[in-house]
Amino acid sequence: MKPETSTPCSCGSGGACQEETQKARRGFLGVAAAGLAGVMLAPGVRLIEVAQAAPNPAAPPAGATAGASPKVRWGMLVDTSKCTPGCNACVTACQTENGLPTKPGPTDAQWIRKVDIKEIRTGKAHSLPVMCQHCAEPPCVDVCPTGASFKRADGIVLVDKHICIGCRYCVMACPYKARSFVHEPQTKQKPDVPRGMGTVEGCTLCVHKVDKGESPACVTACAAAGYGAIAFGDLNDPNSEISKRVAQYSTRQLREDLRLDPGVRYQGL
Amino acid sequence: MKHPQAMLLTVRVEPVETHPSRSDGVRRTSTSSVRTAWCLRALLKAFTVFLLSGALAYAADEPGKSSRVPRPVIEAAKGGQCVEPAADMRRNHMAYLKHQRDDTMHGGIRGAKYSLKACIECHASPATNSVTAAPTNFCISCHSYAAVKVDCFECHATQPGKATSSFHPLVHPTGATAALSRQLRQLATQPATKP
Repeated sequence: MKPETSTPCSCGSGGACQEETQKARRGFLGVAAAGLAGVMLAPGVRLIEVAQAAPNPAAPPAGATAGASPKVRWGMLVDTSKCTPGCNACVTACQTENGLPTKPGPTDAQWIRKVDIKEIRTGKAHSLPVMCQHCAEPPCVDVCPTGASFKRADGIVLVDKHICIGCRYCVMACPYKARSFVHEPQTKQKPDVPRGMGTVEGCTLCVHKVDKGESPACVTACAAAGYGAIAFGDLNDPNSEISKRVAQYSTRQLREDLRLDPGVRYQGL
Repeated sequence: MKHPQAMLLTVRVEPVETHPSRSDGVRRTSTSSVRTAWCLRALLKAFTVFLLSGALAYAADEPGKSSRVPRPVIEAAKGGQCVEPAADMRRNHMAYLKHQRDDTMHGGIRGAKYSLKACIECHASPATNSVTAAPTNFCISCHSYAAVKVDCFECHATQPGKATSSFHPLVHPTGATAALSRQLRQLATQPATKP
């Protein structure tokens, strides 16, 4: 109130009339704010409620599953001390499960690959599988011009090939090189994994299996090969095995500096 | 009723009828009333034969047999009850599939009523185990007849279960070319073996 009272008023009656004006303004603003906050679109429906209700899908039809829950965050934990150089079980299982070519050519899609790294100074070598990291803040989704690249409520990042135009912007944006473009007509698709020319694809975290309550093919194959290096589960559930291990051991995300919060974590790296 | 076969039958039947007064040989001089009755009976019989032949000719017009208009020939598959009446499915199957595909893809809702996978499991031909492999297979027969390109099978499998899919040339003319180029590329990428 100090600046107002210090300036002289033109009406000649000192600060009294200014005080009146301020009060009136304050009163008006108060009423306006209350009015805006309570704007009703229809009796009992406010804009804010519509906005909050929108992301929730409608109730699933009879006989169908409930669908992806936003309370779940699917994730993987790869124990690089158990992952063995030369073992390709996860890659093979991925190819078999998803109908990818088992002998990929230079232009074929690649959903998961084995990466061998060595620290030059110490000579310590690691072998680890790298696939779509299912980021919480996926750059592929940010750049997609059609909305084909999207993140499901449970954290799985997918490509909707019905609306993908094959621009490959997501391939450029992904720091993990997890996306591939399909260059040629496909003829050996699996009923659960549609794949087609002119679209981009990547690891789906075996979404068709996860929706049935199963683990991704790479996880099952790694366990079957006797290594058990990949754990799969709900990162949001404190009682899940993956959550307990993440809480107990120090784990890392690839390219933590990008702050994408990947759902795939690596232990012993 | 303009069918030539029907006309032919009618003409052929009429002379077979004999005059009733001639067979008994008693009354050669027939009255006009008897003549009229005989004429009416003959006409009635001729008309019945005409109608029957018409029905036969109509039966021969059933889809895909002897009609001049070609009809889609759809071979019988598993059969049984579809998720909606056939007429509804013919008109609205694309809308049902499209709505559910978005729920499944984005929402993860699986096992609902209209699924392409379920369509294929039921409608795959027993001969080719596919809905598009032969011109008489379920999806391709109607779509080629109606000249509506079916895009589903550029990505989706055309065979149920674990079997692999294949394009019919009507669906994807480059299918065979793709297989050939794949073989060529595999040959090219293989390390050369020295003799």
